[in-house]
Amino acid sequence: MNALLLSAVLGVVMMFSGIWLKSKSAIRNVAIVGMALLLVVNILEMSGMIFFRIDTKGMIVFDRFALLFDSIAFLSTLLYLFLSAQDIEKVGINYADYFALIFFILCGITLTSSFKSLLILFLGVEIISIPLYILTGSDKRNLKSNEASLKYFLLGSFSTGLMLMGIALIYGDKGSFDTNSINLITETPSALIVAGMLLLLFSMAFKVSAAPFHFWAPDVYDGAPTVFTSFMATIVKAAVFIAFIRLFEEAFGNLQNKWQLLMAIITVATLFIGNITAVFQQSVKRMLAYSSIAQAGFMMLSVYAMNAEAKEGLLLYSAAYSFATIGIFAVLIKMKDYTFDGFNGFAKHQPLLAATTTIFLLSLAGIPLTAGFLAKFYMLKAALGTGKYLWLVIFAVIMAAVSVYYYFRVIQAMYFKEGDPPVLQITPVFKWTLVILAALVILLGIFPNLLLTWYYF
Amino acid sequence: MTGVIGCGVVLASFVLSIMVFLQVKDGHSQVVDYFNFINVGDLKISFAFQLDQLSSLFLLIITGVGFLIHVYSISYMQEENPGQFGRYFSFLNLFIFSMLLLVMGANYVIMFIGWEGVGLCSYLLIGYWFKNNEFNKAANKAFIMNRIGDLAFLIALFWLIAKIGTVSYSEVFSATNLARLKSSDITIITLLLFTGAAGKSAQIPLYTWLPDAMAGPTPVSALIHAATMVTAGIYMIARSNALYSLSQISMNVVAITGLATAILAATIALKQNDIKKVLAYSTVSQLGYMFLALGVGAYSAGVFHVMTHAFFKALLFLAAGSVIHAMGGEQDIRKMGGLSKKIKITYITFLIGCIAIAGIPPFSGFFSKDAILLAVFEHNKILYVIALLGALLTAFYMFRLLFIVFTGAFRGTDEQKDHTHESPGAMTIPMIILAILSVLGGLVGIPEVFMHGGDKLTAFLAPVIPLQAGEIVSHNTELILMAISSLLVIGVVVFAWFLFRKTRFSESKGLGKVLENKWYVDELYEKIFVKPLNKLGAFFNSVFERSVIDDLVNGVGRLVNYGSRQLRLLQSGQVGSYVLLMVVSMVLIFILQFFIRK
Repeated sequence: MNALLLSAVLGVVMMFSGIWLKSKSAIRNVAIVGMALLLVVNILEMSGMIFFRIDTKGMIVFDRFALLFDSIAFLSTLLYLFLSAQDIEKVGINYADYFALIFFILCGITLTSSFKSLLILFLGVEIISIPLYILTGSDKRNLKSNEASLKYFLLGSFSTGLMLMGIALIYGDKGSFDTNSINLITETPSALIVAGMLLLLFSMAFKVSAAPFHFWAPDVYDGAPTVFTSFMATIVKAAVFIAFIRLFEEAFGNLQNKWQLLMAIITVATLFIGNITAVFQQSVKRMLAYSSIAQAGFMMLSVYAMNAEAKEGLLLYSAAYSFATIGIFAVLIKMKDYTFDGFNGFAKHQPLLAATTTIFLLSLAGIPLTAGFLAKFYMLKAALGTGKYLWLVIFAVIMAAVSVYYYFRVIQAMYFKEGDPPVLQITPVFKWTLVILAALVILLGIFPNLLLTWYYF
Repeated sequence: MTGVIGCGVVLASFVLSIMVFLQVKDGHSQVVDYFNFINVGDLKISFAFQLDQLSSLFLLIITGVGFLIHVYSISYMQEENPGQFGRYFSFLNLFIFSMLLLVMGANYVIMFIGWEGVGLCSYLLIGYWFKNNEFNKAANKAFIMNRIGDLAFLIALFWLIAKIGTVSYSEVFSATNLARLKSSDITIITLLLFTGAAGKSAQIPLYTWLPDAMAGPTPVSALIHAATMVTAGIYMIARSNALYSLSQISMNVVAITGLATAILAATIALKQNDIKKVLAYSTVSQLGYMFLALGVGAYSAGVFHVMTHAFFKALLFLAAGSVIHAMGGEQDIRKMGGLSKKIKITYITFLIGCIAIAGIPPFSGFFSKDAILLAVFEHNKILYVIALLGALLTAFYMFRLLFIVFTGAFRGTDEQKDHTHESPGAMTIPMIILAILSVLGGLVGIPEVFMHGGDKLTAFLAPVIPLQAGEIVSHNTELILMAISSLLVIGVVVFAWFLFRKTRFSESKGLGKVLENKWYVDELYEKIFVKPLNKLGAFFNSVFERSVIDDLVNGVGRLVNYGSRQLRLLQSGQVGSYVLLMVVSMVLIFILQFFIRK
């Protein structure tokens, strides 16, 4: 509850600071301090210090799963701001508003991670989506950015419609938005419930960019200003996954045999399309867009498996994936040339950046001793734990092998090709944050319990 | 500075080893368990050290002799530039570390770690002068030969784990676990372990790497390829005596292989002209004796010979190093001669080493070799005669070496003649200490016949190596045997004196040529193993690698690339087509859900 209120307040504060504060750095500092504060109050709530108690009639429950994920999201955002706050300012003139929108999105994230009622889910998803439409189109002079924004808005509205229709059908059958009462076992679920569940499934799959509802993702991720692609492909996507697994566990847990096969099919399709299409891309940014679809395929395994390991694994996965991807995007933003060739000879000119980027890429590819490896391991273990569909696990492993190809292309370009990359403007803060991120990736790859103990105690 | 650090740490280990030894001597053997090293299912392997009589004795030998050789190295390697000097000492220290790990481990896995570690250091040090391609080849040969043995060792470990689920000594050698093993299992495990030992300790058929290993610096030959590492195989079998004693077949294999190696290497040593090669074959031959001792069940005699051999062989190598140093790098004995006056200390120490290795009483070699010969005599008279013959060969080739190098006329160049000088103190002092040990080292194992309770070593080792209750030879027979062997050895020495006092080198013919070419074993291996394997490799490379594997791998890659190009087309950029595709898939899913799976 602390974070929910504070993030909304901070959003408003940022809007006003844009009027009152003249210097860019002051606004940036307010945003970073606010972000740090948000992280602190959320951690305080985890250790029992709740500042606001508001009766939500059981529509919102801040349990450990929600709080821990919020902390991961806030920490990622804080690191993201350290790395890229200056680049946010370069997107357009309304920079204070961008920070405000980011805080509003975080407000939506706290809702989607803790909802107990379908209404709150809807509210949270919309609070996330609408600022994202704006951020995607924030580079107003850029036609691609505008196009992406419009596409995102159109398709997003479509999926919102699906979601509302699904909620309406379920309400029609059960007369309630409460997830627990929806989950009450009926002998044979009515067609209304199943249809509503499918519509919700489609709209959530859309939001996490799972195939075949992923079409918006490459265009939007590619068209949006790179700083915001970084944010929405990582923290936002992970947040929607948390909502996804929460919805299907709490509202439809008893209908598992109705949706598990569908989840498996969607997982396979997502893994396949994400990985295979990424292979042919020439631009690193577009490759990362497809890679985010591929990673979503892996995260889908947790929704499919829906057991204790799946939830643990999803937390670990969202941390591993967010840290690594934010780091890569931060480096990518600094580059002028987004193609693979743009990275030629990078290691000679920027050894530190190249080394950290390599660690992030290794983590995304799932190489041992990185967080990405253990995250994938958890996912596969969870999927094996269901005892069904062994082919799904085998397929996922093969696709992970395919992913090595396109991730290593970047490493190859950085280390083994001659080239003349541009001189980059790198601040010490940027460097150190990257090093911290890389250290976190390796640390979680060796001691995943550093994160997961928070889930249990 | 590098040298001081390098020697200092070994000296510190030596001091600690003495403390350990004193503790063990008071009966405080212990197993120190540090942490769980490997934990898989029911298999638990802990990282533990075992300090008992056997390991503490080896600790003393390794760190003591090791320290002396480190000191010697400072002076011997002086001409190396500082960076290379540091590299040398880091390898040498790493070797000591691995060797200590090998003997201190409380289970076979820790031993194996040390085993691999010493193999690595041996490789690095043989190829220390890596700019010489021949030396690199020698290093590779040593490494590959050792790998063959290591593989057998590993299989033995897996076998143990599969059958009794443990590798720790205390558990493997416990009566219950030994009873659980079938006798065929024990035979296989012990034979595999012996194959490992044969690799490391240069026994037939894996011995050929050791003579080539002389490519390394001489102190390395002294430390690794004479005194310590090559005795790891002896240590392993002595450690596993409980297993070996249960398999008569393995014991016989060990004994016969040891004896055959001893004789074969001794015959080759007769005709070698490189001072280090002679010593190398002599080492192989002496190792053969140790295995012979193990094979007839006289484990403590084998360990005794390890100890005395460490003293006199290290001494001989260091003295040889001193000779090479004096001759400005010359190793061919045909170009030496008459050195006894110019390098007195070296001469005297070398002489002591020769007397010790030949087994002339009361030098150390006499006691240990006599213990082995006696045990062999108790076991089998024919083996005894052959072993005695080997001992005579030993005396012959060692004194041949001594006379050719140190007596007669100088045969080198004039430049060498003027240059020849005694080595500095850092080299001669370790030699003198080792010479003293070579003289006195045998006194820890005085046979019962001379002194009641004189065999302190066997008594000391008794907790680890149970005393064998075999047929005891009467004291009279024993005395006669000793007298025969000693007199024969002295006779051989005199014979060598007359033969080599004034040497003339001529082209060898017949058997001599065969011996000079080491029985053509290297050529035989080349023909039987190396060439066919190379051919097979070339075949697999051209057929399987190129056309099968490569095509398969590249084919998969091309397929993925092709798929990627096609799938990319789905991403048209048209919102309308996106919505269409989404709706179509939704409809399909609805159909699947409502009509296909009820």
